[in-house]
Amino acid sequence: MSYAYLFKYIIIGDTGVGKSCLLLQFTDKRFQPVHDLTIGVEFGARMITIDGKQIKLQIWDTAGQEAFRSITRSYYRGAAGALLVYDITRRETFNHLTTWLEDARQHSNSNMVIMLIGNKSDLETRREVKKEEGEAFAHEHGLIFMETSAKTAANVEEAFINTAKEIYEKIQEGVFDINNEANGIKIGPQHSPTNASLPSSGQGAGQGGGCC
Amino acid sequence: MEYFKTGLKSVLGAPLQGSSPPTGAETVERLVDRVKHSTLLEDRRDACRALKSLSKQYRVEVGAQGMDALCQVLEMDRADGEIVSYALDSLCNVMSAEVFEEEEHPDVYQSSRTSLGEQFTEIFMKQTDYIGLVLGFLEEYDFQVRWPALKLLTSLIHNRPRDLQEIILVCPMGVSKLMDLLGDSREVIRNDALILLTHLTKGNANIQKIVAFENAFDRLFDVMADEGYADGGIVVEDCLAIVHNLLKHNTSNQNFFKEGSYIQRISPMFALPSDSEDISWSSQKVINILSSLQVIRMLVMPGNPAQVTSSCQRTIRSSGILEALCGILMASGVPVDVLTETINTVAEIIRGNLANQEYFLTVMAPSKPPRPAIVVLLLSMVNEKQPLELRCSVLYSFQCYLYKNEVGQAQLVQTLLPSSAEVGTGTTGELLVAGLLSGHMLSTWLSAVALSHALVENPAQKEQLLRVALATGPGAPPVTLLQQCCTILQQSSNVQSKVGILMLLAMWLSHCPLAVRDLLNTPSCIPYLSAQVGANEHQEHEELLQGLCAFLMGICIIFNDDSVPSYTRDSLCQLVSKRVGQDVFLDKLGEVSKHELYSKAHKHPQLQAASAEHVLLDHEFCKLFKALEGMVVKAVSPKDAGLHNGGTELTLTATESSLLLQYKELIRSQDNQIQEMRRQLHQYESERQNSQMHIEELSATVSQLRDQTRLLSAAANTGVTSALSSDVEKLAISPQTNMARCSELEVELDKLRKDQEDLLVLLADQDTKLNKYKDRLRQLGEKIQSDDEADQTNPEEP
Repeated sequence: MSYAYLFKYIIIGDTGVGKSCLLLQFTDKRFQPVHDLTIGVEFGARMITIDGKQIKLQIWDTAGQEAFRSITRSYYRGAAGALLVYDITRRETFNHLTTWLEDARQHSNSNMVIMLIGNKSDLETRREVKKEEGEAFAHEHGLIFMETSAKTAANVEEAFINTAKEIYEKIQEGVFDINNEANGIKIGPQHSPTNASLPSSGQGAGQGGGCC
Repeated sequence: MEYFKTGLKSVLGAPLQGSSPPTGAETVERLVDRVKHSTLLEDRRDACRALKSLSKQYRVEVGAQGMDALCQVLEMDRADGEIVSYALDSLCNVMSAEVFEEEEHPDVYQSSRTSLGEQFTEIFMKQTDYIGLVLGFLEEYDFQVRWPALKLLTSLIHNRPRDLQEIILVCPMGVSKLMDLLGDSREVIRNDALILLTHLTKGNANIQKIVAFENAFDRLFDVMADEGYADGGIVVEDCLAIVHNLLKHNTSNQNFFKEGSYIQRISPMFALPSDSEDISWSSQKVINILSSLQVIRMLVMPGNPAQVTSSCQRTIRSSGILEALCGILMASGVPVDVLTETINTVAEIIRGNLANQEYFLTVMAPSKPPRPAIVVLLLSMVNEKQPLELRCSVLYSFQCYLYKNEVGQAQLVQTLLPSSAEVGTGTTGELLVAGLLSGHMLSTWLSAVALSHALVENPAQKEQLLRVALATGPGAPPVTLLQQCCTILQQSSNVQSKVGILMLLAMWLSHCPLAVRDLLNTPSCIPYLSAQVGANEHQEHEELLQGLCAFLMGICIIFNDDSVPSYTRDSLCQLVSKRVGQDVFLDKLGEVSKHELYSKAHKHPQLQAASAEHVLLDHEFCKLFKALEGMVVKAVSPKDAGLHNGGTELTLTATESSLLLQYKELIRSQDNQIQEMRRQLHQYESERQNSQMHIEELSATVSQLRDQTRLLSAAANTGVTSALSSDVEKLAISPQTNMARCSELEVELDKLRKDQEDLLVLLADQDTKLNKYKDRLRQLGEKIQSDDEADQTNPEEP
């Protein structure tokens, strides 16, 4: 339950590239082939470990349709990390990356870590965007890059965790102002002395069984 | 007022001597003109200040003529805080929802449907850019700008909430700017921002999510902690209202609330001092606690996704909130509305969650001797002196305690069985039976319904309950509970009691042929039911009663095992068609679902009764009715006569039942077949997998071998060719030597030929010489053999 840091992520990208599936695969470890369009934003959370520290990820999954674009913009400011997703079997989703990136850069804080993700890597036969193209785009814009498959779970863990590592490193370097919650980073309650009284209040055992 | 007049004079110049003073409209017109056209900022600022001072008294005029000018100020003069402040204040007054005392023409719009403020709001909001401007002013730290901007937005959202929500949603960082106000150290601004957010988050899921994303829960709980939780003032209430809005029907936010450990943060709301007598229950504190309870209920209410509900239930338990609420339940001096809502909340926290239900069972009331809280609660339920809401909430908690809780259901019935020797200890079951027989209409109804919840989807307990017998008096033989219910049904004159009993019986008899048999064996029960269905009374709720009787008869038909000869399935159908008439029966049955309370009860598990008369239908019963109504209709409907020529209903059902048996047999055999095939399929599947593996292995070896051959052949090829090429080289060399030898030989041959020719010439010379000698010899008379003869005899000689 306790964590050293809490990072807020958002997942962005065109509609149908598999944003919700990536989130579901990461938080629930399952794949849902049929999914309705995301209306507005959905939420998921998971605990990971980096450098021996517990880090809680809170992930907001946005709607990709144009109609929700202005709503999505409201989420950039408060996010520490963003997964920008395209579909390797649909070239147009790759072509739209520039627009997404402009939007993100304009509305987010400048330290937000952006991970570029080419999803659906399991559909090799229908591939329209080469891996090298994704790498080149990421290199050109200073993003981290990965190809994933929400279906087979390939690289999904890595995508979320590597983003967290990058944020963690930036914190260590002192780039992030961790006391400003608008950056999407929170320090865990275990760092505050009041936490010590919590487990001793007689619910320690129940709490251990209740979480997760 | 005098101050304004002198102020005006200085702005507008002293009125001309002799002429009448200008009317309000004229003054406003001149001021608007100045705001629009003055080149000097000071002039525009003064005019704006004057407009502001007139905006209450001459609201219509300022609104109608000055709106554009004021908006122009917001746009052009935004750098000057003072003038912006005046403009915002003026707009605020113009669009205010309230009617000012000093207004000149309050009657102008009072007759119209929409208020003046609303009409001006509509005009103002046509230009969505203006909203963006006002939102921009929220970023100004200057109190004179930020506060009126906030007030203006509050007026706007009050008048046109939906439109403003949509505009703010698409304004870049619109929601974020509002959220930042919660961090303002000036309480006025923070508190007004809370009020604005309360309106803004109402019914708009997208705004709710953004607000939650912007750390709303953290900020709100910080504010509540600062204010002292439940003892805080109305600000805490506002905070809770926002939390409530954010969670209402918003699964994403509910997840976030749970994942963000905010459930734990609400627990201080329910912390009561150990000596509860001393608590002062101010009305604000009551409201704050009620609001907190509402927030908890938002997380676990029956309509939520099961996954969210169950995980929240676990967390509420583990964070100690359930314990705290049970403490409130058993504390003394708690106001009845807090108590009622606490019971409802506890009900939903334990509903369908076995661990929480078990915990609830162990809660003891601090009485002497200690009694289970559940017993104390039921005592209140069957106590006619307790308020209706409280009694209904106890029923709800009991119902939630039994929901999907087979163990609890069994325990309840167990307390009534003859084997449990202790009598009169006031167990749950006894309390309910006592309530059932009490003769008080509401107690009977509540007890009957509570008892029926012990039977929901639990056939074993339906049969167990048949064993319950009641002692009627000294010396008299005991009667069963079922018989007693039938007696109450026939003897009571009260609709509410009868409805309760009928619902209990319907729940009891459904899917339980044994109970149906017992009822059919109870004298005069079926005649009573058929008489009720056939009755032609139209008193209030009488139709509902008749409908329920029809439903109970229908259940007796559907779940009849034909073990009571006088009331077999067929004879009951005949009774319906002959005595009552099918149409009448179906009409009466239909009355139940047509009842005004039916859809309400069906929709929500909690009984929501405005008054005691509205306590009639129960949620679980309505679910049962919906599930079985179709079967009842089918059971009593006339069968298709075409299929069975001239057959009566009796023979029809007989053939049908035999047909049914046949089909059942068929289905059973098919089921077996399916099982067998499934098994085979499974076997084949595994075999297939094995062979698949085998094939894969083989193909692996094949490809391996293929590789090897390829490798080998490659190696072999290189060996052969080198041998060949050396051969070829050799061969290529040998012709050359051959040629040389050839030419040598040719030369030799030529020489030999020459020699031969020379010899031939020599031979010819010799020949002629020989012939000369021969002639000479002949001449000399010597006999000489001819050449030819000599040739023949001596061929070797040339």
